[in-house]
Amino acid sequence: MLMTTLILGLVLGGTYALLALGLTLQYGIARIMNLAYGELTLAAAFLVVAFFQGAGLSPLLSLPAIALAGYGAGWLLYQVMMRPLVARSGGSGRLEVDSILATFGLLFLIQGVLLVSFGADFTSISYLDRGVSVLGVSVALNRLIAFGICILAGTALVTALRTTSWGLRMRAVALTPGSAPLVGIDVNRVARQGFALGSALAAIGGASVSMYQTFSATDGVVFTMKALVIVIMGGVGNVPGALAAGFALGLLETFVATAIDPGLTLAATFAIFLAVLLWRPQGLFGARS
Amino acid sequence: MLEIRDVTITYGKHVALDRASLTATQGRMVAILGANGAGKSSLLGAVGGRIRPASGDILYRGKSLLRLPSHRLVEEGIALVPEGRGIFPAMTVADNLALGALPARAGQGAAARMDEVLTLFPKLAQRRGQIAGTMSGGEQQMVAIGRALMSNPDLLLLDEPSLGLAPIVVKEVFAALARIRATGLTILIVEQNARATLELADDAYLMEVGRITKSGPAADIKSDPAVIRAFLGGSLAETR
Repeated sequence: MLMTTLILGLVLGGTYALLALGLTLQYGIARIMNLAYGELTLAAAFLVVAFFQGAGLSPLLSLPAIALAGYGAGWLLYQVMMRPLVARSGGSGRLEVDSILATFGLLFLIQGVLLVSFGADFTSISYLDRGVSVLGVSVALNRLIAFGICILAGTALVTALRTTSWGLRMRAVALTPGSAPLVGIDVNRVARQGFALGSALAAIGGASVSMYQTFSATDGVVFTMKALVIVIMGGVGNVPGALAAGFALGLLETFVATAIDPGLTLAATFAIFLAVLLWRPQGLFGARS
Repeated sequence: MLEIRDVTITYGKHVALDRASLTATQGRMVAILGANGAGKSSLLGAVGGRIRPASGDILYRGKSLLRLPSHRLVEEGIALVPEGRGIFPAMTVADNLALGALPARAGQGAAARMDEVLTLFPKLAQRRGQIAGTMSGGEQQMVAIGRALMSNPDLLLLDEPSLGLAPIVVKEVFAALARIRATGLTILIVEQNARATLELADDAYLMEVGRITKSGPAADIKSDPAVIRAFLGGSLAETR
């Protein structure tokens, strides 16, 4: 029983961690709090389903293309929609407010397109839906694969941020954008890359979710909210914190669903969220603001 | 190498810099001296691309710098150490220096330059893993100057490198500047510490309320009676 909760929780947490990573990249590097993040996730999930049902393309095969499309969509969004806001704010806090309002509008725009294109019904696919025994616990293979994808993408990103000169640039802009031009960094370009990469992670997360979960065109806000809760739990802009908090939330939700009531998972999420906001606004892992 | 021509800088109605002109020749150390609010930092900010002049031009190797975004200056060979240092306080000393070596012009010589910088500032060698923001002011200044040198610059711009430092640390910073100057790097320095700066500099410009009031070889400026009265003056000026 405990082992089941633990393993299922960690598997769910992998997807959450990846989703939160994308949102924290967008906020940490581009300083844009993207409320339409969950809609990007959903759009990717619908695309996977469309490819699967329409062309018989396996989700694992369409995933790289969808990740690339996510990067492209993020790049374009930044260039067309965010850049005027960035230019107008002149590095002030105004960008945060403006970007929240702008992406709030974008949320409904994407949601509308999804509703028109895919309808309002719940969607799911049956893909590798058989049980595999992990330490004596039966886990659906599709969930395990989704977990593997999230772990792989998350680890690759964290390693790249830590060890490459690309990562050094990203971290420099995230931590001290004001000093970045002094070492020849084009802050706007790095912000665009960060935003695009965050969208790519949203797309990978969405593609993973589509393999095992039922979803509808209006579910985006749930993904955004969960990612946001995790980002704040982990400490805004704190990448390892977001990873850890993602797994923590997966465990918590699975525990609440199995031990108390499945209907209370969202309530539990927001209870934690409130507690963190009230008592540890800097996040559970105590990075400075 | 660097030519500032009739540059005027205004903040709203306030004229911070009024038609200032200055020339820095290759291999020389040029000092801009003046009291607080004389317009020194505005002048250097304009060269560093941080402030847009209202009029005038700034030429570097015959090319106008005014149309370049500030992040492009490093590739041109201009490294700025701004007032307040402009380091990355949340990152380690090693990361700060590695960031300095990011521009393409740092190129293959990065490892050799790292050795040079660590020889120049041995303290940084011992503290490579330390978060830069937790260091003392003098050490942070060393990180900032070291970071600037990592980009293999031809022109080093220093804005008040001794500001807010204890006298003994100021001595250390100036000793390092003397060694940097000896490598033949062109340096443009803004300082309030006129005495120590004039000891090192080749040329000097004096500024008062937004204008350049005097210029010439540092040796002449140093012995100018008016300068001695205003900047190097008696014990009264020194203690203030």
